Amino acid sequence: MRAATAEASRRKPPAVRRDWVSKTLAGTLLGLSLALAPSGLYSEFNAAMPLPVRGQLMMWMVPPIWLGTLSGVYFFGSGLRAWLWLGGANAVAYGALLALRLSA
Amino acid sequence: MRADFVRIYKSVHTWTGILSGMALFIAFYTGALTVFKEPITRWATAPVQARLVPLEAAQPLILKALAADPQVARGFAVHLEDAEHVIARMEWEVRDPQADDHDETGTRHYGAVLDAKGEVRVQELQPSPLAGFIDVLHRVVGLPADSDPNRWFMGVVAALYTLALVSGVVVLLPSLVKDFFALRVGKNLKRMWLDAHNVVGILSLPFHLVMALTAVVFAYHDQIYDLQDRFLHRGGWGQAFPRPQGEPASVPARDPSAMLTPAQLVQAARAAAPGFEPTLLQYQQVTGPRAVVRVWGKDAAAVSPRAMGGFAAFDPYSGKLLSTDYLPGRQDTPNLFISSFFALHMASFGGAEVLWMYFLLGMAGAWLFYSGNLLWIETRRRRAARKDPALPPQRLDARLMGAATVGVCLGCVCGTSLTIAGGKWLHGAPGDMLAWHQALYYAMFFGCIAWAFWRGAAQAAVHLLWAASLLTLAIPLTTLLAWLAPGTGMWAHASPGTLGVDAVALAGALCFAWMARATARRMASGPQDSVWSGRRAPERLSGSVSLAQRSESR
Repeated sequence: MRAATAEASRRKPPAVRRDWVSKTLAGTLLGLSLALAPSGLYSEFNAAMPLPVRGQLMMWMVPPIWLGTLSGVYFFGSGLRAWLWLGGANAVAYGALLALRLSA
Repeated sequence: MRADFVRIYKSVHTWTGILSGMALFIAFYTGALTVFKEPITRWATAPVQARLVPLEAAQPLILKALAADPQVARGFAVHLEDAEHVIARMEWEVRDPQADDHDETGTRHYGAVLDAKGEVRVQELQPSPLAGFIDVLHRVVGLPADSDPNRWFMGVVAALYTLALVSGVVVLLPSLVKDFFALRVGKNLKRMWLDAHNVVGILSLPFHLVMALTAVVFAYHDQIYDLQDRFLHRGGWGQAFPRPQGEPASVPARDPSAMLTPAQLVQAARAAAPGFEPTLLQYQQVTGPRAVVRVWGKDAAAVSPRAMGGFAAFDPYSGKLLSTDYLPGRQDTPNLFISSFFALHMASFGGAEVLWMYFLLGMAGAWLFYSGNLLWIETRRRRAARKDPALPPQRLDARLMGAATVGVCLGCVCGTSLTIAGGKWLHGAPGDMLAWHQALYYAMFFGCIAWAFWRGAAQAAVHLLWAASLLTLAIPLTTLLAWLAPGTGMWAHASPGTLGVDAVALAGALCFAWMARATARRMASGPQDSVWSGRRAPERLSGSVSLAQRSESR
């Protein structure tokens, strides 16, 4: 019995660190920058659409992506992980945007 | 889902809910009322003394007004309807140059009328500011003016709200099927309130997500546009919207008498979109090279981009259809998408049924936030020990939250009812009507909060619910009085829309009375070990141990 529980506690995932401030900052700041990138990508892929309309759609897509990211940030195991993963996601998104722009 | 995540997201939900709940109550309650902004405006508008210039005489009226004051050519409107809120056939406004984009409080309204000799007379109009004020309370969560900083505050509330919605779903998800369909009515009050909170929350989740996200957009769209312009458009955004500047003197002014008449423009609009019912003509820069008239109107079968509907843009001289970007039923797909975001917030689709649905969803939403705070309080209840008759003193934070919730929420209800009724009573009073409406609302609002903190949540809830009932009853009673005694200077409109305002107020008054009785019953015979019990004498909120001990031994 004791052996089983010892094994079970070894297999249990590490507790989620609360890190409220760190995670919230990551979600707020990196979430916003992360939300702007898809709007840029959308603009590149829809350059033929008139700017007044395209620009509005670009603006509307920012809050859902931003707040969706912020809402999910508390699933990360720690604040550090949140910063690393979101930082990485930002790098990928802006890398794609830059690549598109340079190749256009 | 791991229990740890549920615990974490329960914290997120609790904190974001507690911080934003009362502000959201105000936004939802006044939002539900704003669905009926036009009927409320009509209810609160005094009958016009002079008869409205008939629509057939609108064109001569326009020409004479423009001759009298050429500045009016920059922008003016012609009403096509004959309804209580139309106080001049032709009107225009002069905005306060210092005011924020959405802040209407400094705007002055002018109208053109024809006197007995057929001469044009320009007069300053005093349209009822009541519904606009309720809309401001809605837009900036109870703050007095729709300014940019106030919107940014509202944006924070809306962002917290979004977090509260997502976290609420995360918390509920593991037990969704088991708990969702179980509305356990019974002795365990907290279980019942929690089940009800969950059911209302999940059922209206799409509505709430739309409201939260659109509100964030309304708060921060300019800032997002700025960021996108700087980093993505590289300055191109500003050029996309040419602002109508004052035209250079070298361009000869066009002769407005060559414009199509309102009747012709209406016909052109109806031809452009069958099913579109024009209500208003908005003329812009009519003596300039880029003259345009927007024929505003509604189409219940289509999506409208704004609360007041959509428009077809015409050249007023040639009748050429310039743009259908905002024309319900004729928009291209991207514009339709954008319009639908607005329409889902403003209920500008589907007609009267959707308006009533939004009204009910708005009220249910207000209840959702109220019940959330109540659950928070209930979780922190100190229960009496089984064998020990002495009542434990309730936690200070629970007592404060109870008083605040009761005061703020019922203060908003009482304040809006008072200021609505005041729309008739204060007609003709000296001074600025908007200032009167604000004074009535805020005096009642803060008075209710003060009362709730002084008397405690339990007693104040009963008092304020009765006050809400009486103040809301005052609305139809005022109309009745005006009908019976027109000498009072008040009026009683009899159109379905305005009578609807009185009818809904009557129904509301009855609801508040019922709630007052239920709350009084709870106070008298409900569990006494609670902030909602009436047993203890009004406590001073210093929370010191000696006071608590003294009240315990009473």
